[in-house]
Amino acid sequence: MLGCGVKRKWSCLEELEVEAEQDGDEGGEDELLVGPSRSEMSRLQQRQVVLGLCLEKLQRYQVGMELSLRRSVLLINTLRQIQEDMRSDGVGTCSPDVHPDSCILRDDFREDMPVTCPGCAEGDGDNLSLSPPASPESPSQEANSPPDQQKPLPAATVSAFSDAVNAMGYLSDFALDDIFEDIDTSMYETSDLTSAWASGSLWPVSVSLWADEDVKMRPPAHSSPGSLQSCLMDLNELDHIMEILVKS
Amino acid sequence: MKCFSRYLPYLFRPPSTILSSTCHTEADIISTVEFNSSGELLATGDKGGRVVVFQREQESKSQPQRRGEYNVYSTFQSHEPEFDYLKSLEIEEKINKIKWLPQQNAAYFLLSTNDKTVKLWKISERDKRPEGYNLKDEDGRIKDPSTITSLRVPVLQPMDLMVEATARRVFSNAHTYHINSISVNSDLQTFISTDDLRVNLWNLEITDRSFNIVDIKPANMEELTEVITSAEFHPQQCHTFAYSSSKGSIRLCDMRQAALCDKHCKYFEEPEDPSTRSFFSEIISSISDVKFSHNGRYLMTRDYLTVKVWDLQMENKPLETYQVHDYLRGKLCSLYENDCIFDKFECVWNGSDSVIMTGSYNNFFRMFDRNTKRDVTLEASRENSKPRAILKPRKVCVGGKRRKDEISVDSLDFSKKILHTTWHPHENIIAVAATNNLYIFQDKVN
Repeated sequence: MLGCGVKRKWSCLEELEVEAEQDGDEGGEDELLVGPSRSEMSRLQQRQVVLGLCLEKLQRYQVGMELSLRRSVLLINTLRQIQEDMRSDGVGTCSPDVHPDSCILRDDFREDMPVTCPGCAEGDGDNLSLSPPASPESPSQEANSPPDQQKPLPAATVSAFSDAVNAMGYLSDFALDDIFEDIDTSMYETSDLTSAWASGSLWPVSVSLWADEDVKMRPPAHSSPGSLQSCLMDLNELDHIMEILVKS
Repeated sequence: MKCFSRYLPYLFRPPSTILSSTCHTEADIISTVEFNSSGELLATGDKGGRVVVFQREQESKSQPQRRGEYNVYSTFQSHEPEFDYLKSLEIEEKINKIKWLPQQNAAYFLLSTNDKTVKLWKISERDKRPEGYNLKDEDGRIKDPSTITSLRVPVLQPMDLMVEATARRVFSNAHTYHINSISVNSDLQTFISTDDLRVNLWNLEITDRSFNIVDIKPANMEELTEVITSAEFHPQQCHTFAYSSSKGSIRLCDMRQAALCDKHCKYFEEPEDPSTRSFFSEIISSISDVKFSHNGRYLMTRDYLTVKVWDLQMENKPLETYQVHDYLRGKLCSLYENDCIFDKFECVWNGSDSVIMTGSYNNFFRMFDRNTKRDVTLEASRENSKPRAILKPRKVCVGGKRRKDEISVDSLDFSKKILHTTWHPHENIIAVAATNNLYIFQDKVN
C-alpha cells in the first residue's frame, strides 16, 4: 500500500523506533555497516520512512473534500526539515541498503494511466521527472545503480519535490481570493499557477506532475517554481481545464 | 473546598447516550460537547450536523441522594452538508464547536459552527397555547364571520411541553479556510470565529458584516509555515483574546491597540528541548486547544503529548507541564503513519481552576490536580463501568513487567480516542465523548 514493491509491516516501523532509542555503540557488529553507527543508521532509515510517508500523505486526498490546511502545513514542514537534514548530512550518508520509499507515485484517480515511479518501472526511461541520473551529491551511487532505483534522494531532488508539493498543498485554497484575477494567462505564468490549482481539487494535478511523459529528466538546479511547474504541466490538460473554467 | 482525593474515583452514572449501538454510523460521532454557563444544559454536536441538548433534572427533595441526571431536552439539525460550487468541494456539516451564550431571559442561546458557517440558535419552551379564537375554530379552520354571535377573549391553556429550536442568525461567507473555534466575548455582544489563517470579529446582531482582526496569510502562500489552531476571548477582559499556532506558540492580543491585531502584546513559547528533537517535533508541538482559566490569570494549552499551564505574566516558559501519555513518545513514527499524530485533543479546567482534564487513547482520559500534583487516568467505556460503580483508575504499563490490570502500550486502541470533554462550571460533573457515546460522570455523594 505504501510503496510499490516495498513491503512494510507495522513491526518494521516499530523496529525502527526501538533502534532509534538504543545506543549506537555496537556499530562494529552489524554486518551492513562500515561507517555510521547503528543509531545513525536507524535515524537515516527513519528519515527515509518518514520522507516516504510524508510524500504519500501529501499526494493522497479525497476527491471532493478539502485538504486540511493545518495538516498540509505540518507535512510540508516535516518534508522541509528532512530536506535540511539531508542537506546538512551531505555526501556519504546514503546507505545502499535503504529501500527507496520514494515510490509514492500512487495514482488513485486515474487507473487507466500507467503508474510510473522510479522504483517500479524498470526499463521505462521517460518517467523520471524528478530523479536526475546525474546527481552531484552521489556520483558513486549513480555509477553503480540504474537510475530507476532511487536511493536516499539527493537534496536537490527533494527541493524539487518540496516545491511541487508546496504548490499542491496550499494553493488549492486560493480560489476565493484569486479566482477573478487574470485567468487567461495565469496558467502559463509562474506565480499565478495558483488559480489553475485552485479549481484543481478535482483534477489529479499532482499525479500529472509525476506521471507526465512529456517531462524529460531535468537537471536538479532548476528548482524554481516557474520552470518546474511550467515544465510539468501538461498543456493539453491545461486547455481542457481552461475550457471548463471559462465555458468556452 | 473538596480535595482531589475525594474526586477519586468518580461515581458512574448511567450514560445518557445518544445512540448507543455498537455499530454506529459515521454521522453519530460526537464532535463537540459543552456545558452552558449554569451547568443546567449540556450540548453535543455530531458529525451529522445535529445538536442534542441535555437538561439536568431538578433535584427532588424526596430523593436527595439522586442528584439531577441529564436527559434529552432538544434535538435539532443545526447544519446541513453543502456544496461549494466555486471550488467543487463538499462542505462538511460536522459541528466543530458549540458555545453557549449566558442566559438573559427564558430562552437559551447557543452558537454552533461547522467549517464555514456559524449559526445562532434559540432554544425556547412552549407549554401554553392560546385557545378560544373568534375567527377560527379548534381545528384552525376559518369561521364564517356571519355565524359569530358573541366575542370572547382567547385564553392560554397548558399544553405538553414543547422545546423548539430556531435559527436566529446565520453568520456565513466570512471564512475561506476551515473554522476551528468560536468564542463569545464577555461583553455578550460580540464573538470571534477563527479559521486556519484568520480571526473574524462579529456582532451577534449583525450577520452581513464581520471584522478581520488577525490575518496571518502570507502574500505568497508558498511561504506559509504556520496556521492558527484555536482562539479564545479572555473571560473578563473584553478587549483581550489569545490564539494558538501549529508551531506551539500562543499570542495574546489587545483589540484596543489597532484594528488589525497583527502585533501581539504577549508571545508565549517554550524553547525546544534539543535532546528530544525528532522529525516529529514540530507536529507534536502543534497546539490543539487553548483555554483561559475561569479566573483569567492562566492559559492552558494542549499539544500532542502534554498539557501546559501558562501564567499570563510569564511568556518564556509554562508554569506547569503535565505529561498526558509520554509512553507514546517512542511510537511517534507509527502514530505518524496511521495519522493519529494529527489528532486534536481538547482540554478543560474545572470550575475552581484547580484541576485540569484532557483525553487520550483507548477511551482513557486524564485529570491533573494542580495543587496536589496528583493525576489519574480513567476510562470511559461500558465494559468497565457499571451503574453506581466507582471508576477504577487505569494505568498504562511502559515496558518491563506488566502488572495485573495494567494495559501495555501496544494493546492500546488508537481508534478509541477521547478528543472532547467538558466540565460543569460549578460542580464536579464531567461529560466525556467517546466516539458516538456520551458519558457523564459525577463525583460521589455523601
